[in-house]
Amino acid sequence: MTEHLDDVAHLSTCEVCRRRAAEGLEVDLDAAWIGVAAEIWAQPAGPVERVARRLLRSPGLARALVTTPSLVPSWILASVAVLAIGALATESTGTPWVPLLAPALAGAAIAYAYGPGVDPAFELSRSLPISDRMVLLVRALAVFGLNALLALAASLATPEIRGLSLGWLIPMTTISALGLAVATLARSANAGVAAALTGWALVVLGGAASTHRLAAAVTEVTLLPMYLAGTIGLALLALHASSGHRMERRTWW
Amino acid sequence: MVVTVQIERLCQRFGRTTVIEDLDLEIGMGVFGLLGPNGAGKTTLLRTLATVIAPAGGRLRLLGLDPGDPEQRRELRRRLGYLPQAMGYYPNFTVFEFVEYIALLKEMPAREIRRAVARAIERVGLGDRAKAKLKTLSGGQLRRVGIAQAIVNDPELLLLDEPTAGLDPEQRVEFRALLREIGGRGTVIVSTHLVEDVGAACTEVGLLHRGRLVFRGTPEELAALGEGTGAGDTPLERGYSAVLAGARASARA
Repeated sequence: MTEHLDDVAHLSTCEVCRRRAAEGLEVDLDAAWIGVAAEIWAQPAGPVERVARRLLRSPGLARALVTTPSLVPSWILASVAVLAIGALATESTGTPWVPLLAPALAGAAIAYAYGPGVDPAFELSRSLPISDRMVLLVRALAVFGLNALLALAASLATPEIRGLSLGWLIPMTTISALGLAVATLARSANAGVAAALTGWALVVLGGAASTHRLAAAVTEVTLLPMYLAGTIGLALLALHASSGHRMERRTWW
Repeated sequence: MVVTVQIERLCQRFGRTTVIEDLDLEIGMGVFGLLGPNGAGKTTLLRTLATVIAPAGGRLRLLGLDPGDPEQRRELRRRLGYLPQAMGYYPNFTVFEFVEYIALLKEMPAREIRRAVARAIERVGLGDRAKAKLKTLSGGQLRRVGIAQAIVNDPELLLLDEPTAGLDPEQRVEFRALLREIGGRGTVIVSTHLVEDVGAACTEVGLLHRGRLVFRGTPEELAALGEGTGAGDTPLERGYSAVLAGARASARA
């Protein structure tokens, strides 16, 4: 009988087909609107998020990564500006400012990657299936990676310090671990930043006092064992702190 | 009654302060209103049920799952919705982006997310603001965004901490209808100071005082306890005052 539904002459005389045609026209307008609205309102994921989705295999973690407070364009621009000024100062004074600035920048950025008071949705995120330890880990690695790339670019662009191009990498790891551990333990990004900046200042000033060279903190090979031991110890501390026992006063982990 | 929330001898302490003490409570489907004066332990109880903080003592079983077990806790978190008392948000996110972000962190199936987000936004009456940035919204609109993120996954257990704060009377009426609709299919626990919300939307009420449950019953039963007493403008307010006065008297004795 359905073959009659588009036959206007037949419909005008057949009650059954008229009823069937009316049934066929019934549409759930609310459901249709939701489908349309979903397409109109949604924004496509940006290129960074799309790459992160492929790498992390988790759309939730990828979105958490691109919302990192210390990966927003203004923070990255500020870091680029500081390193550019450092590169210019290095060229004009001969003092290797880029390697001295890079660890401090990375330590501060990592402290501001995740945590209460830094992430607006922190309380909410603690009730969600994707664990905040995973979010912290992904964000910390991304922030460290980006800061390392920026510092490397600044080092390569400054002829005076090409010989030191990786001299800052190990201290940067140590100071990043310090910022992360203190921010997580104290549940305060500001405490993490303060610890990273103070810790690095003490190392730089201590090195300068004993060798009379400001760059000793990034050139003295004898400091490497201290950096490595510090990195391992602080990374373990950060892992313990992010295990949940300290992220919120009392959690399930 | 199918028990969806089972609480046995729950204790919560912060330092030396006991916030919840030996709480036993079983809740089934429907809307359960949580009343009590400031500091009674309502927010702490909701945070515990939302798995934000672990109990200091006692046992929980939510939707038949044990939140102490990491795998079961993750499954539970996929099936619950939570609106914190003070919900943080990303000011530059649009309404759609924020609700979508939480849906992603709730590990909802990717192909369902856009429609679910659009539906949640329409259910809280924010369709005309879906593409507005959160920083441009009023307090009441932000509260509705909070409700939208809480219901985006059609939760079987919905926990709302002061959800009607900032809503105008018309929005509160619509919100109560939404609560009744969700309570028909799952369990909703609402903490509120507004006794009229309880009368209009809740099937059961619990009254907390200093971390102890001092009343549990229907709104009608609570109202009946206030007969003949003078404190309060409505029968429910008089019942609330009478129960609290009794609890304070017993505490003194």
